[in-house]
Amino acid sequence: MVAVTEPRLAGLPDPEVAEDPASAVYPDWEAVYQDNVVGIYRLVFRRVGNAADAEDLAEEVLMQTLKTLRLPAPVHNVRAYLVKTARTVMADHWRRHYAARDAALELEQLPPDALLAPPNNESAERAQRLLGLLPDNFKRILELRFLRGYSVREAADEMGVTETNARVMQFRALRKAAELGKEVLT
Amino acid sequence: MTDSAADRVARFVDDLLHGRRPRRFAASQEEAEAMSAAAGLVAGRVGADIPDKAALDRIHRKLSAALNESPVLDLRPTRRTWLRTLGTAAAAVVVGVALDEVATNQPQAGTGDGVAPVLMPDNGTWRRVAAVTELPAGHAMPVSTGSIDAVVVNDGGNISAVSGICTHLGCKLQPDDANRKLNCPCHLTAFSWSGKVLYYKLKSEPATLPQIPVRVNDGQIELFVV
Repeated sequence: MVAVTEPRLAGLPDPEVAEDPASAVYPDWEAVYQDNVVGIYRLVFRRVGNAADAEDLAEEVLMQTLKTLRLPAPVHNVRAYLVKTARTVMADHWRRHYAARDAALELEQLPPDALLAPPNNESAERAQRLLGLLPDNFKRILELRFLRGYSVREAADEMGVTETNARVMQFRALRKAAELGKEVLT
Repeated sequence: MTDSAADRVARFVDDLLHGRRPRRFAASQEEAEAMSAAAGLVAGRVGADIPDKAALDRIHRKLSAALNESPVLDLRPTRRTWLRTLGTAAAAVVVGVALDEVATNQPQAGTGDGVAPVLMPDNGTWRRVAAVTELPAGHAMPVSTGSIDAVVVNDGGNISAVSGICTHLGCKLQPDDANRKLNCPCHLTAFSWSGKVLYYKLKSEPATLPQIPVRVNDGQIELFVV
């Protein structure tokens, strides 16, 4: 399982340095945890939007993976398995807590690459790009709520509409964002 | 009064924006799509999707218990552990040798428990290496005292230090803050901030990085080194 590649001249860098670190090996579960816990947490956070659920789900993903894997194992195998497990765990979450069978099914059918957590600033850029594609009033309500932290009442006052209208507008804006997210940004 | 879809989604969004675990309910497909978009927008707030250290510690504890292993000891010396360490250090550490020798004399981590040795020189003294303000939380910084290359880490306010030299063949490690690890530039090997081997592509697993006693004194980070 452990790849055999010692440098020919001890002490000198060898061509391995240009290779993908994923071809290396995790010696034990602690290494898998330390190298992946943040990435898995971020991956699930993007789908649940809150720290409490993200923590539970990240733990579940790692637990399921680590109970199944035999270590040492190649990094790329472990990471691929983690992402597939995350997909199943997140789909179960939506099915179990929100009876959202179709959303869960959609999640299960996503290619693993689509789930990978983006670099640190990319989530923010993606959100900005998405907002830029929305009609003005939809963009406005989502900016007030998600970027400026306004309550529904404050956003309604700012936009000169009733609270009920603001809630409906927010719902429609989010649905439109979901639609655009699928069509344009994935 | 019956809730509409817009009301339920608004409540879900309120929970997310207040950092609460959302209340559960049976959502239609349209509601689930809107909720999923809301989760993505919350994650798009800068830094929102970065876990705090307490959450990572809780996950680690649960995994540790479930996988039937002893929790990995955090040997980063605090002032208290430093005092305890002094009493038992003689038998446990290699004393008075160059750092490279310490590194190559350690038992291979693959056969042991991954516990990091502590580098404790005979005639060491506390030497300032940086001001605390130079090392924000979430960062690692290479430092050198002339005789020793180290990496000082600020992990959520906890300051620790490990050898900055790869235990394989002695290359200087390079911090990768985004992934909370130290990379060897020579071969495919990476260490955690606590010195543990994360992955390697060598015949055998390299040793854990030695810990270096560290303290914060009058706003300065000091290492116990020669």
